[in-house]
Amino acid sequence: MTIDIPFIWVAFKEIIKALPITLILTIVPLLAGFLIGIVVALVRIYKLKYLYRIANGYVSFFRGTPIIMHIMVIYFGFPLLLDQISLRFDLGLQTNNIPIILFVLIALTLAAGSYLSEIIRSGIISVSNGQLEAAYSVGMTKFQAMIRIILPQALAQSIPNFTNIFVGFLHTSSIAFLVSQKEVTGAANIVASVNLKFLEAFIAAGIIYWGITILVEGISFLLEKKVTAYNRGGVS
Amino acid sequence: MIYLKGIKKSFNQLPVLKGINLKIEKGEVVTILGPSGSGKTTLLRCLNFLEKPNAGLVQIGNIIVDAEKATKKEMLAIRKQSAMVFQHYNLFAHKTVVENVMEGLIVAKKVKKKDARQQSERVLDKVGLSDKLDHYPSQLSGGQQQRVGIARALALNPEVILFDEPTSALDPELVGDVLSVIKSIAQEGITMVVVTHEMSFAREVSNRVLFMDEGVIVEEGTPLEIFHAAKEERTRRFLQRISGETYFLPLKEQVN
Ligand SMILES: Nc1ncnc2c1ncn2[C@@H]1O[C@H](COP(=O)(O)OP(=O)(O)O)[C@@H](O)[C@H]1O
Ligand SMILES: [Mg+2]
Repeated sequence: MTIDIPFIWVAFKEIIKALPITLILTIVPLLAGFLIGIVVALVRIYKLKYLYRIANGYVSFFRGTPIIMHIMVIYFGFPLLLDQISLRFDLGLQTNNIPIILFVLIALTLAAGSYLSEIIRSGIISVSNGQLEAAYSVGMTKFQAMIRIILPQALAQSIPNFTNIFVGFLHTSSIAFLVSQKEVTGAANIVASVNLKFLEAFIAAGIIYWGITILVEGISFLLEKKVTAYNRGGVS
Repeated sequence: MIYLKGIKKSFNQLPVLKGINLKIEKGEVVTILGPSGSGKTTLLRCLNFLEKPNAGLVQIGNIIVDAEKATKKEMLAIRKQSAMVFQHYNLFAHKTVVENVMEGLIVAKKVKKKDARQQSERVLDKVGLSDKLDHYPSQLSGGQQQRVGIARALALNPEVILFDEPTSALDPELVGDVLSVIKSIAQEGITMVVVTHEMSFAREVSNRVLFMDEGVIVEEGTPLEIFHAAKEERTRRFLQRISGETYFLPLKEQVN
């Protein structure tokens, strides 16, 4: 077997067309998961009645099981559930018409929420209790103190962790090809099978993932340096 | 005016405050002395409900709260009557010096940003930090940080400022600076309650000295009465030990 180096470029140009889907599968779950993560983190920190147990269970389950399983269970289970509901209430829902990507997005969002909630929670806990008390002492409410004093610092400190999650989810989005999503890995698979050039196609896909990863890490590094400038003493 | 009646506080069944009664007039500077663990910090924190007393009445200015029935709203209202200066400064790390001072004005007092900035700059000038407005706390010495802490409290123009050992985390050579700032605002007639181990401060600046031990106010009086004619044995022993540390130590060293 030989390697057809020029074909890597051909494959690259074809596969990169699928990059938007990969980015959607990465960014949408992380943004939605971020909102879930904040809510879940606050519920757990303030130990809100009942909700607190649900939040614990949610985080434990989604962090304790592989993401590919979430995708499969939701992909196969959700339509079943919807069909049942539709039948019972005579809604006439056509689950076949629901785009598959929606199931994948839901699964990835739920997983992202659980991971991000842990990051946000530890970020919040890392801000000294003294600052919280100082916020109260100048007359802030719990909510104001959280929004103005604690969260900004918690989030700024969490940027490296967020970056890790982003990179992880960028790579995890490739699982979606198992349920026939044409994202980067799915596209590579197609290019590979059609041309019978597997090595070249997957090298091209690898270059795309790597490139995005390096880009994101670079941006994150600069961003972190900027938003945590307050922490580095001695600069005047 | 501040009025405390029957303030009790326990932590896990352990009584830390055993019924504190106290009245402080407007403009009074009261220092609280007492051994470590006697409940001084807890008393200050009960005053602004950072710690909720188990029982008792707290009045600051025209707001009266019964600790047992205190609602969140009442606790916030009484908290806004006071301001606190912490042993470890507790500045907002992600805010600059001037923003630290503005924060309470903007959020709790609803002052417009521009006015808040003006007022904050004025107060920071008073504590000698006009040249550090845009620095972050991490870029300041301990003494400077504590002066920001004092400015942050002062800017709110509260009924009372509570100081919890404001100089005990500072390097010795920085203590004087901070004490002189506190002295100067004491002379402006702001009501202050100061927990401190600085005997010279208690002696020279305060109108009244309280001695606390094991969750009760053992004795109170003018500095003259407490330092030269304490009635209680416990007070005398404490003062002897403290002054032994601060005055007699150098002598001992000479002898050795
Ligand atoms: N949050 C808390 N939980 C449990 N015990 C506490 C807490 N705060 C203070 N205490 C206890 O209350 C007692 C008085 O503490 P404190 O008011 O800090 O004394 P002081 O300031 O006079 O040194 C100490 O025995 C301390 O361990
Ligand atoms: Mg104390």
